[in-house]
Amino acid sequence: MAKKHVDRAVLALLIVMAVLLFNSTANYTGIALKTSANYVRFLAVSIGVLSVIQLGFSVFKEQPSVKFELTGNMGRFVGLLISLGLFAAAFETLGFFIPAAVFIPFIAVLLGYRRPVVIALTTVGVLIFVYLVFIQLLSVNLPGLEFLGGF
Amino acid sequence: MTLEYLQIVFSFEALLTIAIGTIAGVAIGGMPGLTATMAVGLLVPFTYTMDPTMGLMLLGGIYCGAMYGGSIPAILLNTPGTPAAVATAIEGYPMSKQGRGALALKVSVTASFMGGSFSVLILLLFAPFLARQALAFGPAETFLLALMGLAGIISIADENSSLIKALIAGLIGMIIAVIGTDDMSGSLRYTMGMIELIDGIDFMPALIGLFSMIQMLELAGMKTHEIDTSLIDKQHKKEPMPKGISKHIALGSGTGTLIGILPGEGATIAAFISYNFSKRISKVKELFGKGNPEGIAAAEAGNNGCVGGSLVPTLTLGIPGNSVAAALMGAFIIQGMIPGPELFTEYADRTYPFIISMFVANGVFLIVGLTFAPYLARIALIPPAIMVPVVSAFAVLGSYALNNAVFDIYMMIGFALGGLVLKKLGFSLEALILGLILGPIAEGGFTQGMIIGHGSPTIFFESSIAKVMWVIIFILLIPPLYSYLKSKRT
Repeated sequence: MAKKHVDRAVLALLIVMAVLLFNSTANYTGIALKTSANYVRFLAVSIGVLSVIQLGFSVFKEQPSVKFELTGNMGRFVGLLISLGLFAAAFETLGFFIPAAVFIPFIAVLLGYRRPVVIALTTVGVLIFVYLVFIQLLSVNLPGLEFLGGF
Repeated sequence: MTLEYLQIVFSFEALLTIAIGTIAGVAIGGMPGLTATMAVGLLVPFTYTMDPTMGLMLLGGIYCGAMYGGSIPAILLNTPGTPAAVATAIEGYPMSKQGRGALALKVSVTASFMGGSFSVLILLLFAPFLARQALAFGPAETFLLALMGLAGIISIADENSSLIKALIAGLIGMIIAVIGTDDMSGSLRYTMGMIELIDGIDFMPALIGLFSMIQMLELAGMKTHEIDTSLIDKQHKKEPMPKGISKHIALGSGTGTLIGILPGEGATIAAFISYNFSKRISKVKELFGKGNPEGIAAAEAGNNGCVGGSLVPTLTLGIPGNSVAAALMGAFIIQGMIPGPELFTEYADRTYPFIISMFVANGVFLIVGLTFAPYLARIALIPPAIMVPVVSAFAVLGSYALNNAVFDIYMMIGFALGGLVLKKLGFSLEALILGLILGPIAEGGFTQGMIIGHGSPTIFFESSIAKVMWVIIFILLIPPLYSYLKSKRT
């Protein structure tokens, strides 16, 4: 997809958002009508007007057709994104340590690293550091530790 | 009397306490998701059983150390440890990529030391007088202060191609900041029925997503993962401190201290305004955004300048300058020391050693920072295939840790993906984050000002402070706007 088309789609989306935002201020009640609503209206009008101007520039100004490239390696990029999503999903039930112990080596291998000793030492180092600093020293409450019986 | 205070501060026990507090503060500030407020808040109950002076010194050390610590990951990993280090990341990370990370860290620690020491000196000498002046600063002036910070968007744009896109990005940040509970009516706005959004969107997941995670996604998606080994040679060469940096440090120190004194204003706004001022007076404006140590100097002196400044209203009026100062005030209160004039008379033997100890704390992080800067800078040489999973794991942990909310991890991922699309389309993420951070301050000042002014916007022009602030805002806006339009014409 051409970059200019993505750009225009985003600007169009912002214009729609500006209209919805402006309209939403009609639902404000009481003192918010004269205070917060004015502030939100100002934001809505500003972003709407600026997006229209920018869209106008984009449509009426000659632009070279450049392909929109989000990343140079879609496989690794999507792999990292999906892994992050799974990490977050596993966080509540499995806590930090088990998902991290899988996530770190998996991503390192996904990105082409092939030294198992370095990967293992890094993973263990990160886990020990988090345990000592976050759990022992700062008493940050990470989920899943009970599931592991303390660690 | 002064000699007695110095004896307390320079006793072995006190020096050890300050050193432990400061080093812990640097470590906490250096970890995204952990803040000085959290550390001071956690440790306040523990200081109850300690000698009151030692307890306060420990907390003061944490405050000073954490404010500096935020700059370390900002420079090395483009991950601001604290929101106040965002402006530092804008200049620091490009320097790291150029193999000048050691210099960036050196500038950062020196500026932090100077800004912190200056503000503590002001606290020591003029606290009661300045506290009275700060009371004249109302919501209308707070709104103008936020506008002053937002003027930085124009400066960000004059380096890039599109002023309009920078403004749009700033507005997107301000609109995101609107999500949550409306302070005026108490009703929910744009939460889409999600209880996680009742308190709005927190800075940290957004910061981690927009700065750190984007970087990791870009690294993961690179076609090759080779490291430029010439960076190793470059880092071995000791680069001297840039000439003329002291004026930027002085500017940041003064700005940070002044903003710190204003109740409710924080280090983030101080860092951005100092950064913007620095850019205006710089002879090499074109290097801003590409790794200019002057920007780091101003921003770091600015946010550390807030430390002493924020304690001015806290100790003299009992009005905390920011959230860390509020936690510190709690420590004073549980020791039976109620903030006010009595702190400087009846409890002078505790208050003055506490203030003096903050000079020592600044010295401690200066030594730590200068000693470890060359070693820390080598982080830039870690292979991306190892860096990406490790930083990503810490990004997940940091997003979660602040509110113990898994939802914040999803927010972080969302910000990273959305931010990457916007970045690729030429929208400024720095402007977006500026809008996100300053939006609530602007809204709070605007809405309260409108109430005080009975719905009339003239309230924003009435006081003499407001008039001076408008002049400063125009001074900040016109030159970059002019140079932007000129460059477009040519």
